[in-house]
Amino acid sequence: MRRTGFLYDQLYLLHDTGPYHPERAERLLAIHQGLKQAGLLPHLIPVPAHPAEMKWIQTIHSEPYIRRFEEHSLGGRRTLDCEDNQMCPATWEAALLAAGGVMEAARMIMANEIDNAFCAVRPPGHHAESGEAMGFCYFNNVAIAARYLQQTWDIERVGIIDFDVHHGNGTQHAFESDPTVFYYSIHQHPSFTYPGTGREFEAGKGAGHGFTKNSPVLPGQSDDEYRRLIEQDLLPAFKRFAPQVIIVSTGFDAHADDEMADMRLTSEGFKWIMHAIMTLADQYSAGRLLSVLEGGYALERLPELAADHVRILLEMAPTTPSAP
Amino acid sequence: MFVSRSMTRKVITVSKENTLGEAQEQMRAHNIRHLPVVEADNRLVGIVTDRDIRTAMPPSLIKGQDDPRARERFAQLTVADVMTPDPMTISPSHTLQDALLMIQEKRVGAFPVVDQHGKLTGILSVRDLLRAFTNVLGIGQPGTLLCILVEEKVGQMKRIVDTITEEGISFGSILVARYWEEDKRAVFPYLLTNNVIRVKQKLRDLGFTLLDPMKWYLDQLPKNE
Repeated sequence: MRRTGFLYDQLYLLHDTGPYHPERAERLLAIHQGLKQAGLLPHLIPVPAHPAEMKWIQTIHSEPYIRRFEEHSLGGRRTLDCEDNQMCPATWEAALLAAGGVMEAARMIMANEIDNAFCAVRPPGHHAESGEAMGFCYFNNVAIAARYLQQTWDIERVGIIDFDVHHGNGTQHAFESDPTVFYYSIHQHPSFTYPGTGREFEAGKGAGHGFTKNSPVLPGQSDDEYRRLIEQDLLPAFKRFAPQVIIVSTGFDAHADDEMADMRLTSEGFKWIMHAIMTLADQYSAGRLLSVLEGGYALERLPELAADHVRILLEMAPTTPSAP
Repeated sequence: MFVSRSMTRKVITVSKENTLGEAQEQMRAHNIRHLPVVEADNRLVGIVTDRDIRTAMPPSLIKGQDDPRARERFAQLTVADVMTPDPMTISPSHTLQDALLMIQEKRVGAFPVVDQHGKLTGILSVRDLLRAFTNVLGIGQPGTLLCILVEEKVGQMKRIVDTITEEGISFGSILVARYWEEDKRAVFPYLLTNNVIRVKQKLRDLGFTLLDPMKWYLDQLPKNE
């Protein structure tokens, strides 16, 4: 068994997106319930959520954007930048706690208090751009954690793996010119789904060329295609890059039962992906693995998917990777 | 929406041994500017453009002067001397959106279309793309593509547009295409949102069928021989 941290806070539930919005508090409740019913909570080490210091938010987001977000949220506005991004006065604090909680999990990993962690946060982050809220995302939790690791813990190379069904445009853009952060994303093909980026030829810019890799997947594909692309695109790239820490943008929305997109991954497929990522972390990153929740909207599937995910992080039996 | 549907299949090609004069003649005869260079087994090895040839031409010939020595030098040049070896290619299963963005990114005028075995199966030029994109689309903005099957009768589109509008969702574009069933149409609204679960449900509740976009395209792709 490994020492696995678990980040969760009641305040994440207060980010209210109104009725009918898919990115809703029930998602986290379903995940929490799933871990509880699977008897996993006693095995997990709680990670406390502190609000992120502004200087860390500023490593990724522009001043005017941060001010605008704070004013809109605390001022009671219901949206930021686009109708997609529904919010409330508590959204600002929840977003700070999400970014800060993920940073705390990163700190605990580096301080050897835990081996890895699963961060069940809201709002999600990977669509958030430097100066714009997008796709239900306000602060880019994963990107902020990457900068925190580099600037506080002497980490030179951070590897980010994003298997949310949508391309993480915000994360890609944050690091596309930077050879010290490798961004890999596998997602539904951008011609069919949000946000319309993440094509194969988007491979980084300038000094960062070759440190961004995208695997778009055509609609309707399943475990085999994910496995083929991950083996073809991700494994060799990370072998060359040898990340010292791996951060995972974990999205459960490629599942066959998730209505958000048209992917057909099974629960077994998700397990295979996570086993592959664990193996990468052991090979190159001394097991240091920080998993951060992004999307995943099938409330009836989230308990099982989250429990599987955490069991793999904990390295509980059964540990043998099952072929999808 | 795939390259295989819009590419030119009857590709005019040359071999490395052809002279530039022969290549030029092919371009003139077919009114084209790109010639894929292939081996005998149709494996792609390069591409030669009208610009490559003009660059290799002595200035006196371009000006139409009578210059026998220059003409002889030029006549000895072959396609292999000026072609771009291992050119950028595209596969038949790439989408037209891919091709559009790649052409912008790579600043080329055409992509040879190559299958998984490296064999030339077509060519996709800017001209092909423009034709395909005459009726298209707001793909520069973040959004989600739906695919709705409707009966062909008056008022269907209004119901779709109303439903989407009631959800407060903006349109990037709407594409309407023929379906293989006579009295059906496939409607592809490109919605400027990530939030499609509820609108999909509402459309289903109204009796519309939501198609997996991949299925609709796949059935029209040529079978892999």
